[in-house]
Amino acid sequence: MLAIWPIFTSNQFLLTMASMVLLSAIGAASLNLIIRTGHVSLAHAGFMGIGAYGCVLAQLYLEWSFPIALIFGCLLSGLVALAVGPIILRLTGKYFVLVTFMLGEIIRMIFIEWKSLTGGSNGLSNFPPIHPIFESSINFYYLALIVSVLCVALCWRILTSELGRAIDSMREAEKVALCSGVPVIKIKILIFVIGCVLVAIQGAFQAHLIKFVDPTSFNDLASLNFVVMNVIGGMFHVAGPLIGTIFISLFPELLRDYVDYQRVIFGVVLIIVMAALPGGIVGTFARLRGKK
Amino acid sequence: MFSTRILRHVLFLLMFTALGIARAQAPEELKIGVIAPLSGGGTAWGLALQRGAQLAVDEVMAKGGLKIGDKVYAPKLVVFDSQYTAAGGRVAAERLISVEKVKFIIGPIGSPEVLGALPVTMKSETLMLSNGFAVPILKNPENSPYNFRVLNTSVEFGPAMVKWYRENYPKSKKVAMIGPNDSVGQMVVPQMAEVYKSQGFEVWSELYERGSKEFTPILLRMIAQKVDLFDLAGNAPSEVGLMIRQARQSGFKGHIWQAGGPAVDEAIAIAGKLSEGYMSFNVFDFDNPKAANFVKAYRAKYGTGIINAQTPIWHNATHMLFESMRRSGGTDVKAVRNSLEKLDGYEGGLVGPVSWGGLAEYGVNHQLLHEFLIVEVRDGKIMTRATITPVKR
Amino acid sequence: MFSMAMFGQALVNGVSLSAIYVLIALGFTLLFGIMRVVNFAHGAFAMLGGYALFFAYGQYQLPYAVAIIGSALLVASAGLIFEYFVVRWFYHKMFQSMIGLMGLNMAMVFTGVIVWDAHERSIPAAASEVLFVGDLVIPADRVVVLAVAIVVLFLFWMFISKTKYGLAMRAASQDVEIAGTQGINARRIYQVAFFIAIFMTALAGSLYTQVYALSPFVGERILMVAFVVVILGGMGSIPGAALGGILLGLSESFLSTFFGAAVSTFVTFGAVILLLVVRPWGILGEPE
Repeated sequence: MLAIWPIFTSNQFLLTMASMVLLSAIGAASLNLIIRTGHVSLAHAGFMGIGAYGCVLAQLYLEWSFPIALIFGCLLSGLVALAVGPIILRLTGKYFVLVTFMLGEIIRMIFIEWKSLTGGSNGLSNFPPIHPIFESSINFYYLALIVSVLCVALCWRILTSELGRAIDSMREAEKVALCSGVPVIKIKILIFVIGCVLVAIQGAFQAHLIKFVDPTSFNDLASLNFVVMNVIGGMFHVAGPLIGTIFISLFPELLRDYVDYQRVIFGVVLIIVMAALPGGIVGTFARLRGKK
Repeated sequence: MFSTRILRHVLFLLMFTALGIARAQAPEELKIGVIAPLSGGGTAWGLALQRGAQLAVDEVMAKGGLKIGDKVYAPKLVVFDSQYTAAGGRVAAERLISVEKVKFIIGPIGSPEVLGALPVTMKSETLMLSNGFAVPILKNPENSPYNFRVLNTSVEFGPAMVKWYRENYPKSKKVAMIGPNDSVGQMVVPQMAEVYKSQGFEVWSELYERGSKEFTPILLRMIAQKVDLFDLAGNAPSEVGLMIRQARQSGFKGHIWQAGGPAVDEAIAIAGKLSEGYMSFNVFDFDNPKAANFVKAYRAKYGTGIINAQTPIWHNATHMLFESMRRSGGTDVKAVRNSLEKLDGYEGGLVGPVSWGGLAEYGVNHQLLHEFLIVEVRDGKIMTRATITPVKR
Repeated sequence: MFSMAMFGQALVNGVSLSAIYVLIALGFTLLFGIMRVVNFAHGAFAMLGGYALFFAYGQYQLPYAVAIIGSALLVASAGLIFEYFVVRWFYHKMFQSMIGLMGLNMAMVFTGVIVWDAHERSIPAAASEVLFVGDLVIPADRVVVLAVAIVVLFLFWMFISKTKYGLAMRAASQDVEIAGTQGINARRIYQVAFFIAIFMTALAGSLYTQVYALSPFVGERILMVAFVVVILGGMGSIPGAALGGILLGLSESFLSTFFGAAVSTFVTFGAVILLLVVRPWGILGEPE
């Protein structure tokens, strides 16, 4: 169904919004992987930025083609994740949140301060496109659709496999899992790296959608957005982050007419949803269904 | 029967004529898009945009509507928040163009949001009157066909200001600049540094993380440099007042001014007596009798708070758009754009006659060169020391 | 550059920064210690404190001591209404509280924009003199802040360690169920704790906005400072908040003065990360 509706409309806005939602779903789903291991990362947007800058810089200065530049951006993100993962993944709960918050800020500050490389706060623009075919909104949409489906499917496969079961057992009773021979820290690092590589993919594609890369797109608010998508949608169900992405991306559009009040309304809605639906939207459905 | 048929025809005819007259007199709605940062770091400016544009619309409506050719239009602003980000500018532009079907957009303000919106507005041939200091906004391979910048940037006013300062204070040799590390500061501080250096000054500069309020450590660092002039270029109004106050409290005795902003009202409000002698770029004198109606209308609608200095800029831009429509005789974008390009001399707002420039810098004459003032705070009041017209280049 | 006079002044600036930071962190760490709530609306309450003082002292010109305490009391009382309708659904629920309170923060800040407009205002200083001690420059309003910080810290320490309520709060923070068996009404304790926390936050907010400037957005920076101070000192620890505030204030002052703002930020963040990795519960916190 997702593949068919664009044929019936040429509304650029809908196509762009849809592409953005699809790309954001990658970030939300990849963060969900990390959350399932019991760690909430507030640096996710930072890794998205590493992917974006890595890809665009490779295209601009090394004149690599997009596919190679994309891989480069992902590798870069993965390497950083691999470097910091073993250190920070030993922390639990709220401490991990705090350290990733600081990590995200440091990454953002590097984007800002390393002006000669990243263009600083004024970012990078006028970089080569993915391919002239994708300049049209419809074609880009289909590209985003394919990429997004692949990434989310990967997350889904991981979570429903043996590995996924190990992850759940780790989260619910870490010491027991350890004793059963589950290589806890190795799995956490693996999942962390995978998650960061996936969100780097989002970063690269999103950079080409907006045609502009700047540090403000990768700040703490952006990371928080991914977390909110997960919590609102439901952290422990596969569909959770997807529902959350749709909600967070589209709800502000509904409020456009109330331009003065939109943030107030959005804030109140967040409160109500969190207070009334602690398991997130999907979690609540699951509970209701379970109760029947 | 014959007569009833004729009667019916006559009635229909009368009805249509009446409707036709009514329609000719009922103004047709003309949607004008506005993209403004109404959340995130630029909210004060975003509100200035929204309010300035709205006041211009109100003025036109008070005169019976926007008369273009033989039609009367009722302009209506459709305002979207860009959240001061590139993605926000892009989505707002897309929605305005694809859903609201606007052909004219006023705003955005910050470089990221303008750069985010440009690909879409260029492709869809939508006319934009915007701001944003980043050079690629006007200087790009396409020659910026549908985008016009309606506020002077430091490239336009910087050299003239520094020259004026040099002439009035020949003994000053060293200048310090402290600015934020956001898109404005990182663009403006190096630009102004070049201008100062080309006029023989020694320059020291430092950037801070946007959001800081405590500048005494950096100011202490600056005082150790023994500078004669402290330029607040690139700082937002919220920081200007604090910097002046903290600099004076820290014992800085040299000149303080801003080749940028402007934020003179905010400076007086926050720094109080310590703002004595503070000089600045200014676009508009709110005490000018010409401004009385504008100020009255603003106060009636938006209360007694400080009027952000960008408000008259956007009010002016909106009037420029309306006049271009009038002169082109319609609402066709290309025709309006061509009229806009030829609007030199028109004075519809409060910032002097239109003058387009920028060919030498950007490759296209889409930079508005409005008059500006150099002002000084004396006894809590803003005195004009010079009125300057940027040179067309 | 590295002269005695500069050192001295950097020290003075650092101490005044520390006082502000300690005050900001106190309410934040109290809420976490007792109710395990990360108050993302911390900045918004501080902002309310600022506006309350603006009207009490700036507009109605009540005597300063009355204005500052009265405005904090007013905001704390209003806080109880927010507590009843919003905050109490989120006690002991880490993620839900994070996002729910973020929503509260957004709603409060942008309501502030609607009611009070976005532009910056100034609150008249309690004391506008500048004291000169040798080569050192000491603005009097900073001394006021320092005095208030010391008094508040002292009073709060007395409350926590010497009064019945304080003891009950400490018990509840360690184990709320067992405290309940001892006859401690958890709900009442939480309300008292919330009231005190918001009182301190509003007080910090009014002083902060008086020293700097007031707008609906002041809370952003205040929240960030609270986070860093409390991470340094230990979440839930009052002496930790004091220590964290002092560390942050002094290091920021010295590093910015002698090495510039960027260096100061990187070093501070790097140190915080290092601390989190090596000793996550902060310098004076307790491992859980």
